Amino acid sequence: MIEYKRKNFKPDFENLLKIIERKIPDRPTLFEFAMNDRVIGKLSDMALDNTTDRLASFKRLIDAFQNAGYDYTTISGWRTNTLAFPKGDIKKKASHSLNDGNIITDWESYHGYSWPDAESGDYYLYEKLKDYLPEGMKIITSSNGGVLENVIDLVGFENLSMMTMLDDELTTNIFNAVGSRLLKFYEIVAPFDTVGACIVNDDWGFKNQTMFEPAMLRRWVFPWHKKIVEAVHQAGKKAILHSCGQVQAVMNDIIDDMGFDAKHSFEDQITPVEQALELWGDRIAILGGIDMDFLARKSPREIQQRSKQLLEFQLAKGGYALGSGNSIPDYIPDENYLAMISTVNLLY
Amino acid sequence: MLDILEKLAKLVEAGKIDKNSPFPPALKGQDGADELTAQAVEMGINPQEILNDGLIKGMNTIGEKFSRGEAYIPNMLISAKAMNAAMVHLEPFFKGGNIQSKGTVILGTVQGDLHDIGKNLVALILQGAGWKIVDLGTDVTADKFIKAIHENQNALVGMSALLTTTMVNMEGILKTIRTNTPNTKVYIGGAPVSQAYADSIGADGYFADPFTFAKSI
Repeated sequence: MIEYKRKNFKPDFENLLKIIERKIPDRPTLFEFAMNDRVIGKLSDMALDNTTDRLASFKRLIDAFQNAGYDYTTISGWRTNTLAFPKGDIKKKASHSLNDGNIITDWESYHGYSWPDAESGDYYLYEKLKDYLPEGMKIITSSNGGVLENVIDLVGFENLSMMTMLDDELTTNIFNAVGSRLLKFYEIVAPFDTVGACIVNDDWGFKNQTMFEPAMLRRWVFPWHKKIVEAVHQAGKKAILHSCGQVQAVMNDIIDDMGFDAKHSFEDQITPVEQALELWGDRIAILGGIDMDFLARKSPREIQQRSKQLLEFQLAKGGYALGSGNSIPDYIPDENYLAMISTVNLLY
Repeated sequence: MLDILEKLAKLVEAGKIDKNSPFPPALKGQDGADELTAQAVEMGINPQEILNDGLIKGMNTIGEKFSRGEAYIPNMLISAKAMNAAMVHLEPFFKGGNIQSKGTVILGTVQGDLHDIGKNLVALILQGAGWKIVDLGTDVTADKFIKAIHENQNALVGMSALLTTTMVNMEGILKTIRTNTPNTKVYIGGAPVSQAYADSIGADGYFADPFTFAKSI
């Protein structure tokens, strides 16, 4: 286990809610979307060996998030048996190709595809974890990929590029098939008492621009996100967007049209989090943002310096929670991650 | 003659593949790059002029728009498809030596990395600019680059990476290339790559977008 202790920590989801409502939290507050299993294992006291408890892996996750000092635990769709779109074989190394694994390329494969049923998923954990969640802690949950991500996985990026221009009806049918199922997922999970907020994770940008022109996104992708945000809000919960890449061209859509409460995922080479706070901080909460390359390659001291500046901003102006620009994959050195989260102890 | 090449350039830029293609909707039912190139060849227009003043000009225009953020990858892909449909009519002239390429560029995503969208886009734009492409694919080792360099004398090399963790493999591959063929020009690109990183490993250049790369080499 990592020898780390956050000072005087008792989870209180209200802290994060204040940030999402662009207010100043009562104390330094952290945000992270996902952490690698090595870090989770080191932060948690629990071992998974020889257990028959089907919730054991989630309890371990809750332990890890609590020990690291988060007011919530994220439970991402890929950890659950709720809703997943069966994919073809996708070769994976450090990255994978957006063209790989496609299994819907024409009308025949569209009709032959086994579309999953969101309502037949296993949502047991959202009810049963109520007895295990520490007082004050909530779950922030997300689906197994977003609307565009799932369509790209099913069709392939280059195939989808051509399809949007050459077969309007098939493109519409595929987006509707994916979007309606993801909407149903959020309609089911958002009302659970254990759930404090929902993350909608859908990457829309490359380094220089959005993956598709904004008009395409507005036609096929964003309407589903708008419905998902409405469903989350109807359940009285907050909706957080995790979307990587250059999305400046559609930030007004994200804030004004879709109505997301918070935006997560920032990169220094695209829009550094400090710049994002200046550009949009008065209209949407900004979460995380310590660039992945920065977190991977800078020294713990440099990471703590930048983290401290961001936390000082948080405690002065609100609307911001400290965390990585994306997640904590296994290539982030543990000492660098700890340097970031332990900065909260300097400001207590 | 000028009119038909001008029109051909516009069809490639717009991504109008052939008469049957529904894209772009405004040109539905009209001849595409396929039919117009066939007409240009029949009219006896010099194939090199068809290539340079029609097809490459069209690809250049869409590439410039892409560089300025006015066009997107799907636009580039469909323009390339229109160009490929047109190239079928020019193939015999390539084989007969009537058309010269600018040279050869060896492209590959570095070892450990399977991302290929950016690399494929570079290949499309360089092809559209008249270069011959040797695409080594993804997860390419130093040995594969060296083999391709030996098989393609005077070729340039372009390496791509998506992640910080795979970007660092560029340095080792570059060192191996420098040891084996010191005069080979090696350029790098990809999401985490910067000019500072290119300088630090001694690459011959970094380009933030494929069109700037095509214009600079």
